[in-house]
Amino acid sequence: MKRPETGLVYATRRFTFSAAHRYWRPEWSPEENRKAFGSLTQVHGHNYTLEVTIRGGVDERTGMLMDLGELKRMVGEAVTQRFDHSDLNEDPLFSPGAIPTTENLARGVWDLLAPKLGSDRLWRIRLWEEPTFYVDYYGP
Amino acid sequence: MGPDALTLTRTFHFSAGHRLANPALGEAENRALYGPCFRPHGHNYLLEVSVGGRVDPRTGMAADLEALESAVRRAVLDLVDHRDLNADVPALGGIITTGENLARQFWRLLSPALPPGSLRRVAVVETANNTFEYYGEADDGDTQ
Repeated sequence: MKRPETGLVYATRRFTFSAAHRYWRPEWSPEENRKAFGSLTQVHGHNYTLEVTIRGGVDERTGMLMDLGELKRMVGEAVTQRFDHSDLNEDPLFSPGAIPTTENLARGVWDLLAPKLGSDRLWRIRLWEEPTFYVDYYGP
Repeated sequence: MGPDALTLTRTFHFSAGHRLANPALGEAENRALYGPCFRPHGHNYLLEVSVGGRVDPRTGMAADLEALESAVRRAVLDLVDHRDLNADVPALGGIITTGENLARQFWRLLSPALPPGSLRRVAVVETANNTFEYYGEADDGDTQ
């Protein structure tokens, strides 16, 4: 867990999307897949909740870290529109053979947003697969 | 101060009205900058206050939660609950009442009201979708 710095403000915005996936390694036999991944080998879906945290100083003219409406547009275009009601296994992020686990998806979301927000400003991706499980990623 | 053994977080809530506007800017400029937030509106805010400490072997507690609650009530909640944050709260005078500024200002109000060096984090949850956190001043003289 990375420790936040003093003197900065951290702002988190929450998004939701729903997507399908399965855990499957094509180079393994069905038996091996079922042994490793169990019921996750079947196509199923989740209502994901994504929390994007940015950090920085407050612009004294606006009182804001950044325009959260702009953040909403950016995440909407780069992430939620891309994944909402999609099959994650077919997404180019995963189709080369990476399994769309919550871990890999959180890293993928970071990689989509970091170039737009800057990796100094982007602090944390928290991805909830369901209300009892989330993954945090603070970048490479 | 070394690493805390524990961090305790207590959640409070208050309801208040506000609008986002920089008095130095004109109406059109404020409207363009803040959109719907320029209109007077309000929120059911949540305020999360985290304090750090070590467990007192005598009590088994790392912080006195009752003392925390009364300090937060006196230093913040009594000033802001059911108020217009832009007009009725002298302690917020001169600041634009964004979540960022509220988190920072609440830290400044709370820090002197709590045992020295104990405050770790203030989070202002403006809506279920927007949270603002502050972990203290850049040169926090409280740390020992």
